[in-house]
This record gives sequence, structure tokens and C-alpha cells, in this order.
Amino acid sequence: MHIPDGILPAQVCAAGYAVTGVATWYSLRQINRRPDPAAEVPKASLLTAAFFVASSIYIPVPPASVHLILNGLLGVVLGYFAFPAILIGLFFQALVIGHGGLTTLGVNATMMGVPALLAYHIFQTRNILGKMLPEPTRTGVFAFLGGSLGLGIAALIFLALIVFNIPAELNAGAEQAAVLTLSVGHIPLAIVEGVFTAMLVLFLRRVKPELLEG
Amino acid sequence: MGVASANTYIHRESVIHDWSPRLKLISLGLLMFAFATVQQLALVPWMLGLAALLYGLSRLPVSFLRQRLSYPGLFILAVVLLLPLTVGETVVAQWGWLALREEGLRATGLIVGRFLSILTLGFILLGTTPFLTLLGAMRSLGLPTLLADMTLLSYRYLFEIAAMLATMQQAMRLRGFGHSHQRWLRVNRHTMQQLAMLTGNLLIRSYEQSERVYKAMRLRGYGQSRQVAPTPTITSPLSLHNWALTGAVLVAAAGLVLAEMRLA
Repeated sequence: MHIPDGILPAQVCAAGYAVTGVATWYSLRQINRRPDPAAEVPKASLLTAAFFVASSIYIPVPPASVHLILNGLLGVVLGYFAFPAILIGLFFQALVIGHGGLTTLGVNATMMGVPALLAYHIFQTRNILGKMLPEPTRTGVFAFLGGSLGLGIAALIFLALIVFNIPAELNAGAEQAAVLTLSVGHIPLAIVEGVFTAMLVLFLRRVKPELLEG
Repeated sequence: MGVASANTYIHRESVIHDWSPRLKLISLGLLMFAFATVQQLALVPWMLGLAALLYGLSRLPVSFLRQRLSYPGLFILAVVLLLPLTVGETVVAQWGWLALREEGLRATGLIVGRFLSILTLGFILLGTTPFLTLLGAMRSLGLPTLLADMTLLSYRYLFEIAAMLATMQQAMRLRGFGHSHQRWLRVNRHTMQQLAMLTGNLLIRSYEQSERVYKAMRLRGYGQSRQVAPTPTITSPLSLHNWALTGAVLVAAAGLVLAEMRLA
């Protein structure tokens, strides 16, 4: 779901960098308000590397297999560190394997990182909005919402970018069919991502709950 | 991993290798954006020529580019297969229901041309500059300390964590994971649970390692010296070829943008 170099016009790439700059500034501002931000840097860095590596794990979704995006999970686990972590992960991917791109780094970071921040806030509201649900159902439900909406919103941004930037010569019928197919195709993926996030968060809650303190 | 294989070519000698990392980053970055502005098919050969010229100057082997294009090549294949058959109304050739269209061919040329040119510049940057030097250049251009520290630490442990995952996956396979029969069009909940636990274990191991890393960093003074001004370093003046190369690349970038505006 990464947008490669050469697809988007330079203006959109520049706008992506502008949004990424603002989101990074906001995230760093929130992080620097914490009592000891330096103490959290090693944790966020190693988890960034772990997420980067974990995104290579393939989940069998017959008849094929998919690799997960994990941006919702990143938001749930890393909180405000999620946006810098995604930016760094995408930078590695663009530079190391040519996945995504350097001109589209800002656009891709916005597409993945803003939904990750939303996923973090969704997960944090579990103790306010999910009061009527018992534990661990509450954690599971909000982790599912964070994971699936993280991917779902990223997919919507991706589709919007593609729709507004595809060649003008493509006829409207073909455009609608392609967008509909892509939209419908992402629904099961968002569910799989949500279920996987819920399973993983429930596992962390049992084994290492301090990882979920955000 | 890719960075490790790219480092093989970093100690070669070429004008691009000797280019100041900061100037290289700025110049190639601006040239990439200039490539992204190109909308006219007539400018594509110029763009590809510029990328090829810089690649030639870097003296990186063609096998390096070929090897690294294998993954993004899938994207090119998808564009080449899809756009000429679906975009436009001017039919150039037809085989039954399959029609090759002129507008689609033009869009394909433009997208693939931009994609290859920008990607080549990215690989020149990575292939001729050690990653840590590149990060240092970004830091000197204003990258926030926290982001630089995170990038450095993530890069440092990336290979260790990848090796850890490979070991864990091998252990799972040795215990029979992946040998069960997969039913058609059905997600196996048990398999997913096991993969979630694998990912969870990877996160926990990384987290525990980060606590040890942090203690070691604290012992070496990390987090204590934020207010201390950095020691001024003596830098030698940049050579003429650094400025000449920077000037030539920036003129080429400006030329492409102006030509695009004129032709539009």
C-alpha cells in the first residue's frame, strides 16, 4: 500500500512532506512534555526495528497470504512515538528495498502515521467509552478497532490519492470499478489486521502489560 | 539486508563518492523533486539520461542497480501491463477484446520514466554514502535529535532483530509449524494466534533488550549532555569539484522545471 516514486505530482509530494513535518512536530512536542523523554528513546527505537522486521511476517489468508501493515498496532503500543517510528520505518524501506519512495516518503508517512495516532487515541479511550465491557474483552475490542481502523483509514487515504491523481484519460466507469474493487478488497484485510492486533494486544496484556502503557 | 549489500560499494572511488554528503543530499533531493514535476513525455529521455550519467559517474556496477530493481520492478510490470490496455480511447493495435491505447502508452512511459530516474538517484545516494554519514548530513541539515537518535538505534538493532526473528521462525518450523493442511478460502484461527504470539514475543524480546541498552547508554552519559554545546569540528574547505557538481545538478534540476513549465 506504499505509493512509489513517479506516480504523484511534485505538488502532492511536497504537501505530504508538509503534513509529515507538522505531524512530526506535534508528536515530538507531546513526547518532550513527558518527564524523561530520553528514557523512552531506546524502547521506541528497538520496537521500531521490531515492527519493521515483523511487517515481513506473512499471514495465510487463503488463497494467498498477506503481510500486515501494523500501523494501528504501532499506535496502540508506541503512542506518540508511532509517527516518528513509521517515518523511520518507511525511510528504511525506501532506501533499503526500494519499497515506497523518497519523494513520496511524506505522503506515505501521512497515510500510515496519522491513522496510527488515531488508533492510539481510540485505544486510550477504552477506559472511558468501554466501561460497560469487562476485561479482557474491553482491551480486545478497542485493540481490534485500533488495528482495523488504522489500516482502514490508511486505505481510504491511499484510494483518495489514487483517485485524484490517476491519468485523466481513464474513463469514469473503469475508475469507479477499480476504486470499488480496491475498497471492497481492503475490508477483509482491515478485519484480519484488527483480529491480529487484538490477539497480539491480549497476549501482551497477559505477558508484558507495561508495553501497552503507550 | 539491503543496506549491508550497498555498503560493499561505498569505499569505491568516484566523484560522487567524494561529493560532500550534505551537498549530495540537497542536490540529489532537489533533482528527485524536479523529476517528479515532469509531465511531458519529451522530457523523459533527458531525465533518464541525467540519472544514467550520474550513475555512470558514481562507478557503481550495473548489477547493483539490477539487483535492487528486482523488488520495485513488480510495480513497473503492473503499470506496463495495466495502463496501455485500460487508459485512453485512441486504439493503436487490437487483438480481439484487447486494445493497446496511445494515451495509456504515454502515461506508462511517463510514470515508468519518472519512477526509474528517481529510484536510480536514491540508489546512487545509498550506494555512495555510508548510512551513518547520510544520517550525520541529515542531522546537520536540522533533523531533530530525537529522530536522529531513533534512526541510529533502529538501524543498529535492525539486523539483530531480523536474525532473532529468523531463529524463532526456524524453531517454529522445527516444531511442526506450517505443516498442517490449509483449508481453501478459510483463515486458520490457530495459525493466526501462533503468528500473533510470534510477533508479540519479538516485541517483548526487543523491549527487554532496549532496557539493557538504555542502562548501558545512561552509564555512558546519554540524556545528561543535552545542554552542552557540541565541540566545534575543524572542517576542510570543500573542493572545486564539489561545488561544480552541485552547481551542475542544481542547474539541471532548474532546467527540467523550466522546460516543463514551457512545454506545459
